Parts: sequence; structure tokens; C-alpha cells
Amino acid sequence: MKESILKRVEKPSRYVGGEYGVRKKSKADFNYCICFPDVYEVGMSNLSIRIVEEVISRVDGAVCDRCFAPWDDLGKELKKEGELLTSLDLKMPLKDFDMVGFTLQYEMSFTTILYMLDLAGIPLKREERGEDYPIIQAGGPCAVNPEPLADFIDLFVIGDGEDSMRELTELKLKLKGVSKSRFLIEASKIQGVYVPSLVEVKYKENGLIEGFSIKEPIKKALCADLDKAPFPPSQAVANCESVFDRAVIEVMRGCYRGCRFCQAGFIYRPVRARGVKTLTEQACSLIKNTGFDEVGLNSLSTGDYPNLKELIKELKENLPEDVSLALPSLRLDSFDGEFVQETRKSSLTFAPEAGTQRLRDVINKDITEEDVERGLNMAFDNGYTGIKLYFMFGLPTETDEDIIGICNIVDKIRKIYSANPQRARRLRISVSASTFIPKPFTPFQWERQIGEEEVSRKVELLRSRLFHKNTYLSWNDFALSQMEAVIARGDRKIGKVLQKAYEKGCYLDGWTDKFNPTLWNEAFLETGVDKEFYTRELGEDEILPWDFIDIFVDKKFLLNERKKAYSATVTGSCKSGCKGCGIQKVYGCNL
Amino acid sequence: MILFRFSKTDGAEFIAHLDILRHIGRTMRRAGIKVAFSQGFNPHMLIYLSAPMGIGIKSYAEYCIVDTDEEPNSFIEKFNEFSPMGFTCLGAWKTDKKVGVASDIVKAEYFVTGINDFDEKKILLRDEFIIEKKGEEKNVRHLIYSIEKKDNGISCVIGFANGIRIEKFVETLVKEFGGGEITAVKTRGLTEDGNDFENSLR
Repeated sequence: MKESILKRVEKPSRYVGGEYGVRKKSKADFNYCICFPDVYEVGMSNLSIRIVEEVISRVDGAVCDRCFAPWDDLGKELKKEGELLTSLDLKMPLKDFDMVGFTLQYEMSFTTILYMLDLAGIPLKREERGEDYPIIQAGGPCAVNPEPLADFIDLFVIGDGEDSMRELTELKLKLKGVSKSRFLIEASKIQGVYVPSLVEVKYKENGLIEGFSIKEPIKKALCADLDKAPFPPSQAVANCESVFDRAVIEVMRGCYRGCRFCQAGFIYRPVRARGVKTLTEQACSLIKNTGFDEVGLNSLSTGDYPNLKELIKELKENLPEDVSLALPSLRLDSFDGEFVQETRKSSLTFAPEAGTQRLRDVINKDITEEDVERGLNMAFDNGYTGIKLYFMFGLPTETDEDIIGICNIVDKIRKIYSANPQRARRLRISVSASTFIPKPFTPFQWERQIGEEEVSRKVELLRSRLFHKNTYLSWNDFALSQMEAVIARGDRKIGKVLQKAYEKGCYLDGWTDKFNPTLWNEAFLETGVDKEFYTRELGEDEILPWDFIDIFVDKKFLLNERKKAYSATVTGSCKSGCKGCGIQKVYGCNL
Repeated sequence: MILFRFSKTDGAEFIAHLDILRHIGRTMRRAGIKVAFSQGFNPHMLIYLSAPMGIGIKSYAEYCIVDTDEEPNSFIEKFNEFSPMGFTCLGAWKTDKKVGVASDIVKAEYFVTGINDFDEKKILLRDEFIIEKKGEEKNVRHLIYSIEKKDNGISCVIGFANGIRIEKFVETLVKEFGGGEITAVKTRGLTEDGNDFENSLR
């Protein structure tokens, strides 16, 4: 890229590479580029692309480069100057790689994939790409429903990347020089690999799915032993401040809880934990190699890590004194005073998700008011004076009482706080509400998403009651949540909408100031795709667009969980005994 | 305390001032150089940087003070082993007085290429050198100390962090005389009397 371009764009250090700790690279027999369809500061905080790089780099003859989405100023400059999007380390045009992979972390990044392909001079549709273009691959959590991207991606990896990406790399090296179609056929035999061109979907006249051309479902890839799994001993230190500027270890994959709205809680089953020894070694290595002063203990619910106390003790003993620990996903009931002191922050975030015990039972958020009270008291005693609460609007069976329940929680928290007169500072409470989005492979995958008017009414109901000087209410943009719902449960027809939306200028849609609902609505109108078809309640007997994918959780289990939700029956955590979701049949859960 | 001079090139010139401060802190941690911390609620490493420059200007004359007992020679060695690409320590000195890395450097020398040939002596004979600043015109003639032809470009000394920026200065010259792809590199930081900043320490 010309230096003169860099001088004209915001935060050019995003585009120069050369970070401390980045792997030395040179062109190899197999050249792979992992792309993060969002800006550098977001992508540099993501752990999965580092794991992919580690996995591929360990294979002899393979190199893994990186690429992040340019902000729109650079995107426009590249187009104007006729320059192509290149990788960060080898500075090689993406189209010169053998394979280009995208990580799918959130649905609203899908148009950014098209943006990056376009800037790279690669035709968007897989059918329009001949042998000269790289194989375009995608993986990550959103790949469990790959269908909205089926027109654009040659090959998906569903599930864990540790084994599947290694096998894919080895296969590509072995089959060097064979045609793309032949390679794709061979690759489709690897567990977790889905090749859309090899699967036909038949639709009925009413738009529902009649069936798939394959008999056996595509099984997700599973990394059974995280202690033996490849994990990078270092990480590149971002040139400019990234969203999480710290070393990150992955304590666990999967979650015991099974909250019925939570996709991650189902698709990452079974729960697999790394050992204290492994984690301590990884943390020490990262801190030594990066110079960070903080280690993030990442997982879906770190408080549920079986040996958390021992882990924290080991980390404290082995890490330099001034390194602090960040526990980003603690639940109120696993909250413990001694962890709190580790963070220097003054505000604490908790997610009750629903305003009443009844609705929390519906969603299987197994947390009681007593748990909340105990956790909060401990937090307040440790000097916290700010609380951030997350809730959802539009959960199944929700009534006005549940919304008003949110106000009761806020009042109760104030009472708990002021019960101790020594807590002199004013307590600041932020309430953040988002619209429920039904996601594939959850017990709520059949649920409808509520409409705009209903959301507005619920917001008003809450806003009018939540009147207190130090209480702040914020809520998500409805149009964004609706689009996320449509794409999350989308079928192959959504591909047309994505392409149309991109052509109209939609990309980097995860950024609220870039998201343009008017353009998206035009895209739906012009492609003749009905949004409501995708936000409605789905029939339990329908074939769902993602039904040909097997994440090892039985559909029957999900249906039963849905039934239990409607009778507000809690299933509880896997820790209280196996609930028979189906994963135990392929993987002996270590409980 | 250690005062050191470093360069930023090879991409490092695109890193913003506050990020540079973070990178120096992390370099200290990786290198195992013990740095004193500030007192107070949010302790941070005692590191002081010279005044910020425009993004994208390469430099061989950035200065920084770190509160450490490390010896200069081992400091240079460790810094260069653990610093990010493009940051190279070019010299280090022990200092016990708190030198004003930000306040004492009021002039800087730059080497600029890409401006079409012009009579540099005539610029210095003028009473006015007008640059545009936030839509206003401003005479900065008094902040231009010298311009000399050198190799295939010019070497100039102008004010630093006090009302004139090298980008503006060059832009104004290009507007008058024309030019192509411009490069500007900061070569020295100078004190009020025109001496090299680091000389004031010896």
C-alpha cells in the first residue's frame, strides 16, 4: 500500500503490521490468510484467529497470514487508487493466497466479508470464481447455520478448528495442483467440513424447505482434549489500543448452564476445561512474551470452572506481582469477594436477562434473588459503586409484569446498597436492554421475534417507571436486532439480500453509525425476500435450514426444553447431573 | 533515571503518541527493566515522552525519560531486543535532574524530499511566511530558522510543538513551488539556543 494513502486515513497503524510478537512469515507451499470481517482493534482481541494461525503454522510447508477489514476511509482510497486488499504480514493480495478464511463471530459482519472480497478483487459468488481464485473458507460460531453465506463460501468448517483446520491444511498440501472441485470433494470427507456446492436444498412453493440432497448430516468438528490442543505461546501486541488489550487464556470451552436463548451454550457442548497447570503455563508464557499487565480468563462462564480457586492461586504465585486478572464472564451466583479485588474497575456487569423469577425459570437462567443479593453485597463491600444490568425484551411468555420486574430489581439493588450506611457514594445503575433474537440450535430456535411496536411499548413501559437520578436505561436498535434474527435463521435465499445490501453500501454493519436500515429494507424489497418469514414462529414439524448439520445435541432434547420453558420448569446445570442432551452419546462428559 | 533517544521508522511512524507510550511500557516489562510507578489510585509507569508529532513522520530524534536504575548500555541492549519493529534506541544517558523532554525541545531539524527546486535563501529573506491554520492565515516566519539544500532535498530547522508543524510547512512550500511524493524525516531535536537537545545533558 502506498504511504501516501496511509497518511490520509484514520489510525493508519491498523494497516502496517509488524506488531511485537507477530510470527515471522515467508511464502510457503500452502498460503492461507485468516480474515476477520471487522476492524483491526476488534479482530486483534479475538482468540480464535490466533488459534487458527497456530494450528496452520504448525504444519510443515504452510503459512498463515492475517487480514482485517479496512475502515471505510481506507476502503474508498483503495478503490480510488485501484489497489487491492493485501494481507498484513506478507503484504500479499488476498487473491494470491491458496485459501482465504473468514471467521464468523456475529451475523452482522457477513456483509463485511463481501466488502473484503470485493476490495481484494475476488468475485463474491463462488460460482463466478474459477481455478485462479483462492478457495474461500469460513468457520466460527455463526457457521452452525452457514446457509445465508452458501452462495459466497466454497467451504465451511463447522465446530472446533483445532483438528479440522490442520486436516484441511494437510490435505491441501497433499493435493497440490488438483482442481478446486476435486479438492472440495476430498475436503468434504473431513469431519466438520461442509461444501455448499455438494449439497442441494429443495424448497417448497411456500418457501419452506422440502429436503436436502444429503442423507447423512454434516457432523461438527470436535476438539476433545483442550490440554493437548495447539495454543499460541505468544500473541501479537496490537499497534493501537484494541478492545481488549490483554493476554487471553481460554479456561473452558462450552457452558454447563444451558440457558435456553443462548446459542453458545448449545453449540459448544460438551464442556471441556483446561487443566490448572496448562493454563498457568500458557498465562506465564503470554505475559512474558507480550508485556501485558492483565490476563483474561475467558470462557462462557468462568465462575463455573471447577478449579477456579486453585487456578487463581497458581496464577498469582507464578505471574509477576503487578499482573491483574480479568474474569469477564462471572455469574452473580459464582461471584466471590476474593476475585473482585483483582480488577481495578469500579463498575460491575451482571446479566439477570429477565425481570421476574418466573421468566428466569422459563429461560433456564438458574439464578435466584438470594444469589443476586449475596453477590451484590460482596461487590459493594469491595467498593463497587456502579452496576450494569443486562436484560432482554421479547422472551417467550413475557408479560408486562416481567418488564416491571426489572424496576423491582433496580429498587432492590438500591435497598441492598443503602442498607449499609458506610457505602457513602451514590450508586449508579445502568440498565441495558436488547431484543431477544431466536438462534439456531437453541430450545428457542422456533420462537418468533417481537416486532418494532411491541419493543417500543416495552421500552416505554420500563422507561416511565425507571425514574431515578442515577439509573440509566439504554436499549439496542431494533432494526439491527431484527436483521440479526433474519440472518441468524436465514436460508440460502438470504444470500441474495446480503449481496444486494452490500451493493447498496451496507458493510461494517455492526457499527451503529454505519448501519443503515433504509438500505437493508430496500435490499429486501428488491430481492423479493420477506423479513417476516424469518422472524415468525417456526413450525416444530418444519425442516429448518440448518437441520442438515449435527452439533450432537438432539432436536428432541431442544423440543423438550422448549416445552419445559412454557411450564417455567428449570432444567439446571449439567453439574447437577446429565440432562441427556445427546452429546453424551458421542463424548463422555467428564462431570 | 534514563533519558534515551529512539527512532521510529518502518511503520512505527504511524503509531499514535499514546500508543507509543503503551508500547514503551510493555517493552520495559518484556525486557525486565524495573521502572518506578506513580503513587495513587491508578499507578502507572513513570515514562515521559517528547511532544507528539504528526502521524506518518519518520523520526530519528524522539526522546523519552524512564524512571529506572538500569545502566545506559544495558538499557540500549535490552530495549532493542524487546521493542516493537521500527522503534530503535539510538542512545541513552543517566540523568538525575528532571529534564524537560517535552518543554525544552522547541526546535527540530527535518530532512525533506519531493519539493520542486526553489531558492531557499529567498524564503529566509522574506518578512512573512503564511500558513493556513484552522481557516486563518498565520505568519510563522519567526519559527523558520534555517533552510539548506542537502543531497537531493532540503534540511530545515523550524519550531517544534509551538505553532508550526512540518506537514503544514511542507504543504505551503509545495503549494508555491510544486512537488511530488513528499517525505519528511525528523533528524534532530533542538533547544532554544539551537543546540542538540542531548548535548544539554553532557
